[in-house]
Amino acid sequence: MIATIVRKDFLTNLLSARFVIGFVLCLVLIPFSILINISNYRDRTTQYRLDRDAAEKATAEVRVYSVLRPEIVLPPEPLSVFGKGVTDQVGNRVRIWLGDKPLLAAGKTAAGDNPFLASFFSIDFVDIAAIIFSLLALIFSYDAFTREKEDGTLKLQMSNALSRSTALAGKLLGILLTLLPVLVFSFLLGGLLVLFSRDISFSAGEWGRIALLFAASLVYLAVFVFIGLLVSTRSRSSVTSLVVCLFLWVFLVFLVPAVSANIAESFFGVASRDNLDRVLRDIDKERAAAISAAFKAQGIPEGWNCWRCSSGEDGFMETYGNPRDEFEKFRRRASLSEPIRIDYADRKWAPEKAYLDSLSRQARAAERLSFLSPTGIFRAVAAAVCRTDLASHERHMDRTRQYREAFIAWLRGKDIFASYRWITPAEPATFKTEDELVGMRTGGEFKTVREYEDWASRQKDARARWVKLSQVKVPGDSPDDFPYLDISDMPRFEVREGAFLSGLEPSAFWVGIMLIAAVLLFYVGYVAFIRYDVR
Amino acid sequence: MFRTVLRRELLHNLYSLRFLISLALVIAVFAAGAVSFVRSHAANLEKYRETRGQYLENMRALAGQSATELAVQRQTYILRPRSNGFMAEAKEKYLPNGIVYSAWNVFSFQNRSGSANPFLKRFDELSWTFVAALIMSFIALLFTFDAVSGEKESKTLALSLANPVSRGVLLGGKLASAVLSVTAIVLAGVLTSLLIIVVLGPEGVSAALAGEVLGYLAVTGLLAGTFAAFGLLASVVARGSNISLLLALSFWLVFAVVIPNSSTFVAKGLYPIDSTETVQKNVTAVFADLSKNAPPGSWMMNSGNPFLPQHELRANLQMKRLRAEKGIRDAYYQTMFRQFERTRLVTAVSPVSLFEYLTEAVAGGGYLRFRKAWEDMHVYQEQFLSFFKALDAADKDSPHWFNPNENVSTTRKPVAFEKVPQFEERPMTFAVRVGPTLKYLLINIFVLSAVYFLAFILFVRYDVR
Repeated sequence: MIATIVRKDFLTNLLSARFVIGFVLCLVLIPFSILINISNYRDRTTQYRLDRDAAEKATAEVRVYSVLRPEIVLPPEPLSVFGKGVTDQVGNRVRIWLGDKPLLAAGKTAAGDNPFLASFFSIDFVDIAAIIFSLLALIFSYDAFTREKEDGTLKLQMSNALSRSTALAGKLLGILLTLLPVLVFSFLLGGLLVLFSRDISFSAGEWGRIALLFAASLVYLAVFVFIGLLVSTRSRSSVTSLVVCLFLWVFLVFLVPAVSANIAESFFGVASRDNLDRVLRDIDKERAAAISAAFKAQGIPEGWNCWRCSSGEDGFMETYGNPRDEFEKFRRRASLSEPIRIDYADRKWAPEKAYLDSLSRQARAAERLSFLSPTGIFRAVAAAVCRTDLASHERHMDRTRQYREAFIAWLRGKDIFASYRWITPAEPATFKTEDELVGMRTGGEFKTVREYEDWASRQKDARARWVKLSQVKVPGDSPDDFPYLDISDMPRFEVREGAFLSGLEPSAFWVGIMLIAAVLLFYVGYVAFIRYDVR
Repeated sequence: MFRTVLRRELLHNLYSLRFLISLALVIAVFAAGAVSFVRSHAANLEKYRETRGQYLENMRALAGQSATELAVQRQTYILRPRSNGFMAEAKEKYLPNGIVYSAWNVFSFQNRSGSANPFLKRFDELSWTFVAALIMSFIALLFTFDAVSGEKESKTLALSLANPVSRGVLLGGKLASAVLSVTAIVLAGVLTSLLIIVVLGPEGVSAALAGEVLGYLAVTGLLAGTFAAFGLLASVVARGSNISLLLALSFWLVFAVVIPNSSTFVAKGLYPIDSTETVQKNVTAVFADLSKNAPPGSWMMNSGNPFLPQHELRANLQMKRLRAEKGIRDAYYQTMFRQFERTRLVTAVSPVSLFEYLTEAVAGGGYLRFRKAWEDMHVYQEQFLSFFKALDAADKDSPHWFNPNENVSTTRKPVAFEKVPQFEERPMTFAVRVGPTLKYLLINIFVLSAVYFLAFILFVRYDVR
């Protein structure tokens, strides 16, 4: 008997205009969203390759350790063509500094080169699925009983030897069977577009995750079918049921997520970035004072005088052609300043962590609040499945911080801050005294610095003094005299994929909650149908 | 006759379930939006005041050092959080809101970090605009999707037309009643929201607000009219109300959800611009060229004596660099503005996008406000520069070698901070708001008329039996 009902409902639905329109909607919107995001992924991959190559080149082409600041460039997530999550906003580049732990990732966001485009929102497969599947589920279920009641076929049906539970089960299966092909078709279409695109390819694990996404969509769809059935059994007419269902749809799918984000924004404020920057500047000042004090305690003068120097932020200092004493001074300075710099990075981390926590607390509050709607759960689960959720990003950032520790441990293992290699590639055995250098550079014209300075003080033109010292090129005076550092033993950051199901525990829980909600809705619907007046 | 039809349709709407649910939902969302706005706005204002205080303090300290120091240091002017943001937030938290300038140039703009949480997926503020764009467009469709097909099913359409009433009047009455019903619901929401903001808000409401509210209601009426026309079209195209509903929902999905969310794709696909890296490369190349061709000694420094001849060489070089970089960057900014504006024009096929651009103008915010501040900042920068040059001219100890990046070869005397002209954002005048949006208004009126006309033609040929 149940098979007959299922078959009848399935055929009625299949032949209806709503099926055709629903199908056409999927046919148009799903490829649209996937194609947009494949093109987005392609742009990101191009940018990623440029950034990665630049970062690798910058790391490979260093001659002294103080310049070494590896930059981690995270590759775009292939699954983001289905669900972008937060990947559009968080950046993918992290530079490893000694004086700072990685805070936020840098890099181009969705807006790309034009910051004004950040005010345009975008849409992906998960968004479309959340909207369309829920709409279709409601459109097929809102009049499940009311329509038949209005047509008078419900009482005819019930006059047969048919229990109400069989009728309900038949109805339900009929609807699910109608929607299943739409769902399967949408995923197949998405999958085929990915399969035939030259810009992207999925691994087996990624296809597996798409299968998980499919399962989550199925549960999501079922919840809305049950909502529709429940409304249908509680309404007297189809029009009422329809109006209620559509409002519920707008409320659950569009309003709850927006309202949750707004409530989170106004009730879970984030710390001020300007304020954090001020605090960090103050700590930097303290650090500078601590470094000065350490120099003073060791009797190292503040200023320096060097032949060829380039210096910059985060203790970067590369120098050539200095007398032995100057090299020694630079070495002693770095051996004191760099450990202090690293210590102060730990001190800065407390306010930085507080800031990060406030950002993530707000985001999590918005997400939790949105769990009032199945759409909120579905979106969060989908982002986790696509590895584009906040938790995935935070895992990446944690790993960049761990990498920084490994990098620093590697530097310390070489006792590099106390080594000349920190500041110059020249071998200490080749260092000369200042007198020797002046002699060599002036082609023997002056024997000592004193002689040269006597002469120089009589010169009016500053350039002439300089030219005199550039007469003979001394080996080791310029970076070109040295090869790049061999850093083959430097720890490398590896982009780990993690196990197939890693990071999905909370999602499994919430899908479970959605299932329970579905069962409850079904039960209430069942009870309502048992008491339904079919006349 | 029109009045009778209108009255009947209005009453029909007013007593319907959809009206009641809409009213409750809209009032609830408006109230939630107002409360949320009041809290966020207070927090944003506090952050803004703190940053603004630092900005002024910093400038005062520089002025105390020397006028040149004040002139060459780059400052970031932050736009104040808008007090009528509850009406149309216009995605301001994602737009640039800081302008970097000195007396010599307006350099760049930035979205000051902290105005949006990068961990939170981008979302709309629950402003009046958001509520109307999402819910009102939907409700307008709900009021009209079965206006014709539904009446046909219930057999009242044939009865209505049996009276001496023309089809045009009947359809017009349905459109007008839908617009009036939607506007009534919005009005209820607007009043609720205003009440909450007046009572709880951190700032009072300005006198200009009354005009803005009227403008908002007018634009919302236009939105409702456009969607109601779409609903009527769906209603006369389809045979059953079932199908017209699905058609109407499809319209809505495409125009309210899909098109507004495809803009980035449109922008990058149709109007690509150079990458920031390319622009940076060009600047670097020009700088290298200038340095190469500069007379020897141009880079020599010694700030002790202002009259050292190398200061003049360096000042010339720095001025050339400034002009060259400004030329490249300003041209790049123009391509950004063009890309953004053209993209908006393309997405204006969606009445919801149109509505957002129009309310942005009504509230005087978003991109329009930024552009105005950006242009005004250029005017101010000229004033600031002439002020500084006058100060420098009066200083006999200055060699008057203008250098936009250094403090050595122009006046080293302090200046009273109070005398320095300050940039103040000027209010958005009516002309500034309407000028750039007139085209959007015309497009909207055209779309409304075209869709309604199509619905009318089809209705005239409609078999009402």
